[in-house]
Amino acid sequence: MLLARSRDNTAPEERIKALFDWLGPDGIPSCVQIVPGDLNCSGFGLSSTDYHKLASRVDEIIHCASDTSFSERKRAQIEKANVANLHHLLDFAAKSRCCFFHFISTAYAAGKRRGICPEALVDTRSFFNVYEETKHRAEMTAAKRCGREGIRLNIYRPSIVYGNSRTGKTLRFNAMYYPVKILVFLKNLYHQKHREHTRESDEQMGISFSADGTAHMPIRIEAAPSGGINLIPVDFFTAAFSAIMETALDGGVFHITNDTIKSVSDIIHYTQKYFHITGIQAVQTQNFPPGPQSRLEILFSRYTEVYRQYMQDERIFDNTSAAAILNPKGISCPDFDYRIFSRCMQYAEAVNWGNPS
Amino acid sequence: MTPLDHIPEDIRRTAAQCRHYAMCKIDYLETGLCPPAKKTPYVGYFPQGRMDLCDALAKDLIPVTEAAVDIISSCTLCGSCDRQCHFVTGMRPMKVMQALKAFLDAFQEKGEKPAVILEDEPLKALKNIVGEKWATNDPAHLIAYANDPFPLADRQMPGYVVLPGSADELVEIVKYADRSEIPIVVRGNGGSVFGFVFTRGIIIDVNRMKKIQLDPDNWSAVIEPGVTSFELQKAAAEHGYRVNTAEPAATVCGNIVCTGLFSTWANVYGVGADHIVDMTFVDKHGTVFSINDKNAPNVFGFKEAVLPSPGICTGARVRMHPVTDDEQGILVPFTTLADAVCFAKDISRRRIGLAVGILGGHYLSTFISPTLALAEQTRDVFSGILEMTCVVSVIGDKYTRRSIRQMVPCVIDSSTLKMFMLGLPQLVRSDLADIVQGLESDGPAYETVLSEEMLPVLEKILSPSPETIAAAVDEDLRDFYEALYSRPHMTDMVWLAMFRIVSARMSRHKHMFAFLIYVPLEPVDVIQELITSFGQIAEKHGIEHDLGFITPLDLGKRGILEYDYYIDHTDSKESEKIRLAVADIEPMVDKLSSTCKGVKFLKYIFSQGCARKENFLYT
Repeated sequence: MLLARSRDNTAPEERIKALFDWLGPDGIPSCVQIVPGDLNCSGFGLSSTDYHKLASRVDEIIHCASDTSFSERKRAQIEKANVANLHHLLDFAAKSRCCFFHFISTAYAAGKRRGICPEALVDTRSFFNVYEETKHRAEMTAAKRCGREGIRLNIYRPSIVYGNSRTGKTLRFNAMYYPVKILVFLKNLYHQKHREHTRESDEQMGISFSADGTAHMPIRIEAAPSGGINLIPVDFFTAAFSAIMETALDGGVFHITNDTIKSVSDIIHYTQKYFHITGIQAVQTQNFPPGPQSRLEILFSRYTEVYRQYMQDERIFDNTSAAAILNPKGISCPDFDYRIFSRCMQYAEAVNWGNPS
Repeated sequence: MTPLDHIPEDIRRTAAQCRHYAMCKIDYLETGLCPPAKKTPYVGYFPQGRMDLCDALAKDLIPVTEAAVDIISSCTLCGSCDRQCHFVTGMRPMKVMQALKAFLDAFQEKGEKPAVILEDEPLKALKNIVGEKWATNDPAHLIAYANDPFPLADRQMPGYVVLPGSADELVEIVKYADRSEIPIVVRGNGGSVFGFVFTRGIIIDVNRMKKIQLDPDNWSAVIEPGVTSFELQKAAAEHGYRVNTAEPAATVCGNIVCTGLFSTWANVYGVGADHIVDMTFVDKHGTVFSINDKNAPNVFGFKEAVLPSPGICTGARVRMHPVTDDEQGILVPFTTLADAVCFAKDISRRRIGLAVGILGGHYLSTFISPTLALAEQTRDVFSGILEMTCVVSVIGDKYTRRSIRQMVPCVIDSSTLKMFMLGLPQLVRSDLADIVQGLESDGPAYETVLSEEMLPVLEKILSPSPETIAAAVDEDLRDFYEALYSRPHMTDMVWLAMFRIVSARMSRHKHMFAFLIYVPLEPVDVIQELITSFGQIAEKHGIEHDLGFITPLDLGKRGILEYDYYIDHTDSKESEKIRLAVADIEPMVDKLSSTCKGVKFLKYIFSQGCARKENFLYT
């Protein structure tokens, strides 16, 4: 059963159908039953009869709904989605015959730290953003309530998820995609105007083009001396999730992460190569010039501010428990190499970065 | 042109959609006025009157008369009406004018003769006063004075229309009407939309009384009652002054007498008696008085009641204000109305800025968009993507702008606004919205988009130019719009705030039914309560609605709030909705007014527009 709410005047059934249609030609599997309900409401907005009827049919719950915004000013909205709404679901679980609660969290619930992050609930009050904080609070809430109700709990902690490593398909173009998208947007904008011979203000931004159309975009990006970006493809995540769900029957915390951290320099290299851009460079913090940045650098920095932490992340996620399940099954996370990057970007361009217009 | 036996229904419907905003009666786009109307300014000769005539002929409300033949024949199909009307309403009256011609052709081809309307005694008497040409009882003229878009008033055909050429003639008409016991109603420019100006007796149209005499030494102007806001502002501006005026097509005297003048300039120039040095009236018996006479009726006092006007205004001396050469506009965006109100109140208190107004998202996008579709898309971007729920619009000198920049994180200055205005079609088409939606900043999206380093990018995206904005309108109008937007004043906030030519765009999609209320700006809960109540009542009755504007008054202690309902004034079901809504609104506002000082429904100011503001703002 799949609990879904209506949104933007689209009924739950239509939303789920659209999602399955997007996933492949087979549509919604016959075994899936869509239950209209809204986590925003206590009782999911269902009648008492429907609510209890639903509760009587549930054995396990997978909770994957969340608000992935990082913005502090959206705190109330994020807290509502990630913490308050979890209470509604846990209330339901307690009233149902549910014996296993699967909670999809994030590896970054570990909070502000350097070095090893264990696959365990951690006591921390320091976070880089409200998303990390609320996911941490949600983990604690789920653990406490499930413990009290005698419900087993698995917490799945993926790192940064990108599209399908084999097809490039993705629904959203945030996280890893967003800084790349900004660069491509600027390149295309200035290239188009360059071709149209309109009034030139390219110099103001410092963007120039060579004869073959390669864009020179001088941007220095601050990077940590060690660490980098922990990226996993969605196909790995789903495979790992299913395997852990089937195997870890006593409950636990599992990092679904990549053993190979990608440096900012690597991503810059991929981006420049794929999109025919030069001039972007990763500069280590200690070498980053303290003086004024260029207009283009300030602009890029403004737009990617929230991702800065993840570009120079020094958290290392221990995944011993997850690996113990995944390795024997031959499930491993692919390296985010240029081949996969290209595939993802091909898809992004083919669907205009998810913007139908 | 193929002769038409009947006026087609789609043409009639277009004609009936005329909002009577009277913008066709001022030369606000420098297209020139409708040529026959310029010579003979009966409303019937203006496009507005021709639209009413078309609707009436199609419905067989009136016969084809001699005046109807003259009105229709005199149309040169020059197309000015199409350009003027499209600018504010998006409508194209030319097809109505063409249909009227085709209808008349068919009428004449059939050998039919126009109905002759006989003169009666009152008409002869009126003609004796004003001359043969300036009084009529022909239904083709009368119909243009018989209704307005006000949904709660029925059509009422007057007996006569008379256009006096001077105050003396006006006084004689009043005396004659008094002697003959014929009711009279004065019409400014035929642009009233409140259903007040109908009679079965005599309509006095003051549209021939348009003299303006500037008195720069005394910062004032002496005007006749037919002078419109646009005309007076234009005259004042040519001499380096400005006046506080209302809608451009409305007559200044009519506005003063009716509700008093208010606009965003009221922040510094005041309201009510603040605008007038002197006025002369003729009372219903023909006695002329000046309001500065010690023995004259007291027009400066205020009583919370619906009162008759002190008489018919025959002239006024109004205040002019000096202008400095460094004035520019600036918009300050906000995500919440409460923050915008606090800011507007703060700058008003600190005497920062001249014209100050809080504009809702609908207002801003509608003002700057030449088409309805673009306005809706712009609103989606401004409010939905950039998170600019409302803006505080400020006109001020360089010191004002410097102060404001120090008070808020970001502004839309005059050059950025110009960029938006000339590049709107690109704004809604570009990927900017997509990029901004992915932004996870801790400030509102507009702060990032309007940041200094983003402005050159924004310019790239928008490609602002008269050609770009002209691409948004019908192909045959593009050359006109391109030329129009090549004129600097069309994107100059100061000029636009002074002449207010885009405010009529608020009625572009439907007739706007405006509720105006004087309010305290503190605590902001009072404004919030009013807005919530207006919204709830509108929702209850299924009426489109939105906040219009709020302007601080008297150093921010008070303000005036406009909340707008939108209806199709030609649809009787919508009229019924408004009737029911008004029945809910009046007790709601009255109740709030009785418990909260400073809340005053404008309907109680009607006909008391000369009152001292202190007498209604603080009582």
